[in-house]
Amino acid sequence: MSEKNLLSQHMLRKSLIILRSALYYIVKSKKLLVGTSILSSLILIAILEPLINGVRLGGLQSSAIGYFPRLQMPSLNHPLGTDHFGRDVFAMLITGIKNSLIVGFLVGLVAISAALVVSLFAAYKGGAVDNLLNSFTNVILILPSWAIAAAAVAYIQRLDLTLVALIIASFAWAGPARQIRSQVLSLKSRPYIDLAKMVGERDSEIIFFEILPNILPYIIVGFSYAVIGGILAETGLRLIGLGAAEIMTLGLLIHIFMTSGLIIQGYYHFIIGPVISLILIFISLNLINIGLDELFNPRLKKVTGE
Amino acid sequence: MIRKVVSYIITLFLSFTAVFFILRLIPGNPIRAYVYMLRSRYGFEPIGDRTIQMFEEMFGLNEDVFSQYLIFLRRLIFEFNLGPSFMAFPTPAQELIARHLPWTIILLSVTTLLSWFIGLMLGVIIGWKRGTRFDNFFFTFSLIFSQVPYYIVAVILLLLFAYIFPIFPSRGAYAASLTLFDINFVISAIQHAFLPALSIILVSMTGWLISTRALVITIVGEDYLQYALAKGLSNSRILTRYILRNTLLPQTTGLAISLGFIVTGAFLVEWIFVYPGIGALFVNAIGLLDFNVIQGVIMLTMFTVLTANLIMDLIYPLIDPRVALT
Repeated sequence: MSEKNLLSQHMLRKSLIILRSALYYIVKSKKLLVGTSILSSLILIAILEPLINGVRLGGLQSSAIGYFPRLQMPSLNHPLGTDHFGRDVFAMLITGIKNSLIVGFLVGLVAISAALVVSLFAAYKGGAVDNLLNSFTNVILILPSWAIAAAAVAYIQRLDLTLVALIIASFAWAGPARQIRSQVLSLKSRPYIDLAKMVGERDSEIIFFEILPNILPYIIVGFSYAVIGGILAETGLRLIGLGAAEIMTLGLLIHIFMTSGLIIQGYYHFIIGPVISLILIFISLNLINIGLDELFNPRLKKVTGE
Repeated sequence: MIRKVVSYIITLFLSFTAVFFILRLIPGNPIRAYVYMLRSRYGFEPIGDRTIQMFEEMFGLNEDVFSQYLIFLRRLIFEFNLGPSFMAFPTPAQELIARHLPWTIILLSVTTLLSWFIGLMLGVIIGWKRGTRFDNFFFTFSLIFSQVPYYIVAVILLLLFAYIFPIFPSRGAYAASLTLFDINFVISAIQHAFLPALSIILVSMTGWLISTRALVITIVGEDYLQYALAKGLSNSRILTRYILRNTLLPQTTGLAISLGFIVTGAFLVEWIFVYPGIGALFVNAIGLLDFNVIQGVIMLTMFTVLTANLIMDLIYPLIDPRVALT
């Protein structure tokens, strides 16, 4: 059997083990179970959004103006009523959920990849490289990231969702990078790494097969905090009217409600959807984080006394 | 001691430099962006090219970025001048900031102290009674709420207590009819600050509660506490003299650090309740692309965070002599 084949088998087996233990932990921990089920139903809604809106609106964009009567109260046809532009609020809501989740996951992916590259490189190389990257990370952590992102978004004229996510992510990587770096540093001095070096594994092999699997929990937690942070930041930007103009997100829905007089006229049902969806997103991701923390830091569980 | 001050100055300098250059990355320059915004939003030609050039010279924007940076540093350090604001031209940005700062400091210092106090007390109690239903309720509540952003709570409270049940005013910091600083003014100010304050306290309290609870649980496991229990000391004595005292030290440090976030704390809450603080000023400046105010507020927030950290670093050895030894 060739070396390559052996390697791919090794990887396959490893990922199977990880998947199986993930499932096992999800079922075992109540917090993980609740968190993942809420989150996956929201993701399901986001995936099915084109289908639901396609059927309900007959191929119309949820942001298309003037298709329905204006300011309808909730009814069978419009479960959450319509707004002052004659848009179906329910359709806007699920588009909003989809786009907010997209922003969050984009921020999470970009931030965690950047964090991984920076921290693995820094911690593994050590020395001057590590010092430089570490002080760079610390400077980024000091910056008031949301305020700077707001300024950047305000000045850039043509924005889309990806660009907003990238701007947010360019600050969001620093936190997880610092966490992962300290983990890698502590792993690096373990005997089994020395052993791997002695056996003649290459640097890349050590990083990918010896270190990476062991910091996986931190990567997942870092990712999911970055997702929360991304959604939070984007919603905050939309709240004050910044961001990709035409794209419906949960923050934009709240912004419309707050600034268009709907709140003064008493159309309160408009706000319930976005607020509850946001809270569900935060709660589910947090439950996942807490559940993972408890699983991988048994010491923490002892400290919290459960 | 001197090392800490020096590293503070270096960090401050580095972060100011970073912000300066990050903000210069924006396309065009502040004046042209402002004019473009006026054109596209209000659809008229407010000023011609010659005037734009005049303003660019006045703001020093026609020079290269590096000499702009030197000019900026000179002005900031020797004149404490952040440059004129656009939206209230020619009022300097620092004057606008100074006008809004007191509201933010009052709101945030009161809420920070209150949430610290409530969180500490509740944390001690539920840490002491850990495992009970009481503990379970507050702990789970806190775990969930600790990551909910202030602005979501603010929107909910605004909706509930300013619109559906109009108990509190929905906007501003005091009733506009009051101009004298008297008892009515204070009452009105408290009424207006109540909902913004509550939305901050509800969330930030939970962080203190969680950390205090964890501290209490480690303290309960210590030998000296077992000894105190074995001596048959009363619960109230153990709670106040043994547990509370030992949680106080780390939590006071935390408080000092979080006081550094007094300016940044609640930009969006201020905006939601139209509270005339730094946050509302910042959001308005963002909306009108008022460059000098935006830059000034961002730098002010970094200054307060770093300064609070420095003060804590300097004071901490006095509170905890063990640190001075290491």
